[in-house]
Parts: sequence; structure tokens; C-alpha cells
Amino acid sequence: MVVIRQQRTSRLSSMINAPGGVSVGVAMAQAVANLEKLKPQGMAIITAQLAQLAALPDPQGPDERVKARAYGLSAGILDAAGPFQMDDLCAAASNLCDLLDASPEGQAFDWRIVSVHVQAMQLMQKLPAGEAGDSARGQVLSGLREVLKAKIQPAG
Amino acid sequence: MSGLGEKLRDSAVFNFSGAVTMVVDDSPFSRELTAEALRGFGVQIRYACSSAEEALDIIRDHPIDLLLVDCEMPGMDGCDMVRWVRTSGLEPNAYVPIIMTAGHVRRSKVGAVRDCGANYLITKPFSAASLLERLVWVARDNRPFLEAGDYKGPDRRRSKAKPLKDGERRSDMIARAKREAELGLSEDEAELEAVAAELEAQVAAMGRRY
Repeated sequence: MVVIRQQRTSRLSSMINAPGGVSVGVAMAQAVANLEKLKPQGMAIITAQLAQLAALPDPQGPDERVKARAYGLSAGILDAAGPFQMDDLCAAASNLCDLLDASPEGQAFDWRIVSVHVQAMQLMQKLPAGEAGDSARGQVLSGLREVLKAKIQPAG
Repeated sequence: MSGLGEKLRDSAVFNFSGAVTMVVDDSPFSRELTAEALRGFGVQIRYACSSAEEALDIIRDHPIDLLLVDCEMPGMDGCDMVRWVRTSGLEPNAYVPIIMTAGHVRRSKVGAVRDCGANYLITKPFSAASLLERLVWVARDNRPFLEAGDYKGPDRRRSKAKPLKDGERRSDMIARAKREAELGLSEDEAELEAVAAELEAQVAAMGRRY
């Protein structure tokens, strides 16, 4: 196989050390403040996506379209929750994405899995911040991971 | 300033204010999140596009310094878009630093993400800190570009893993190899079989969940 190597310097790499700019500390503070302003919108999107996910009818058989819709909604929750330190909720959404993605094409998906994930994520939203809430969220998440383990064979 | 995985010093200064930046994401909220984090870093978004097709129309005619592309999009997806950019022959855009973002990568797409030619994949949830860390890393990414078969993008090779000592565990070797890849230590040119992508290390981490 012919391999062609080319050394390139991007304009980005030459501008990073240009005079001016901003310190990491200031940049981080600005970015966090900017993102914080979007948090209410993010929470509203998560709530809406969860409601849509809950409203999806159990297709009672193979239905790739509904599975894809559920996957899209779950991935949307992951997107919206991403920057807001909602790691448990993100992990639950990711868990559901994993399960839907691993579901063989043309086979029915056990819709109870979607229901239990929706309920778990709605519960996670309601749990209080702090140690007690974190502990409960951890337990819920642990249960969801058991579902993943039971449904998907580990590699190797 | 820092290698990937090392915390950036608060006092370190960087300047991306002149970077012509494009964000491509079909989700308006995700696009806004990425843009707001970047604005905090002093990066001004010149182009915010909701589809790969819209982005490519711009890329054909305008030089871009930094490209952030969502992986999963209807129509042409992020991987196809990155591959198009890399093989476009456009100067300088074919070589633009590209960060891919992804909420969840489907198993069927892992290979495409690894092989499309992006500099880095960031999986969500990502914090402002991790985005900044990767942005700085991508700006400092001095790996040469490779054209090898169907692949065109930053050199993904790294040195073949060799045990440091008899007792080194496989997991230690993987961790070390990943670290070396992240730091861009990729000099074992003769060992084609040692090709292991930066992105592969990340998607392998995802694969371990299965």
C-alpha cells in the first residue's frame, strides 16, 4: 500500500500562542457561565424528550422505525444533559442507547426496558441534590446497568 | 501547555480569537451548547450549520480554521462529511483540525468514526473543561497527515506496545499505549500492523461496555 505523509501546520496551531487571548481560568469561568444560562432550556428539553419517550407505543413486534425513534430521543437526552453535570442521567440515557443499538434488526425489542429507563430517568430528575439523592441515583443506575449486562453479552 | 489528560493550568493563556470556526450539528440546542462553550473560550463561531450539506457549501469557498461536527445527523452524517472534507483536495480545508462530537456512537459506526479522518472524537457528556482540553490538544496536534488506502487524515500510528517488564499487565499496556497515542508519540513507522487510532482507543473504551 502506498502511504503518503505530509507534515502540515494548521493556522490554529500558529494562532494559539498569538499575543492577547485569554487564560484558562477566565475561559473556563466564562464557558461555565454561558452554559449555565442554557440549563433551564436543557432541563425543559430533557423533560419533553422523556415525555415523548414515555408516549411511544410498544410496537408489540419488530419495528425498526419505533426503535430508531426511541434511540434518537434517548440520544437527545444525552445531548441536552451533557454539560450540566447530570452524569447519572446521562449514563441512564446512554444505557438505553446501548440496549436499543444492540437490539438485532428485525426482532422485537422488550419495551419494558424503555419503560423502566424512562421511569428511572424521571425519578433521577426528581431526586434531591446531595448525598441522599446521589446514593439513590446510584442505586437506580446500578439496576439499569444490570439490565444492560443481562441483555448484552460481554465481548470476548 | 499540556498533554491530553493533564489538567490545564489556570494561568496558561491561549488565543483562538482569530480562528474561523464552524459548528455543524442538526440539533439547535446542541449547536448552541457547543457555541456557548466555545464563546467562553474566546472562540467566535463564524458558521453554525444544521446539516453537512449546508456546511459543505461553505467549506467549498471559505477557509476554515476549526471544525466541530456532530457524528449523528440525518442525510450526510458527520463521518461522511469529515471524509468528504479530507478527500476534497481543498486548500487548506482538507487539513483543517476537526473535532467530532457524539452523544452515543452506534456500534455499526465505530469503524467509520475511527477511519473518517477526524483529529479527535469527544463523546458526551462533555464538560467545558474537557472541551477546552481537547481544543488545545487539537491545536497542538502536530501529527503528519497520511494518505493510506481509503484513509486520509492525521497519522493514527503509534508505537507497538511492548511490556515494560515481565509483570506488566495487559491493561497497563493498553493504558500506556493510549496515553502515548494521546500525546502524539507515534513514531514506529515500519509497523503497519501497529496502526491503532486515537479514536480507536476511545471507541474501544465504549466497546468494553458490551
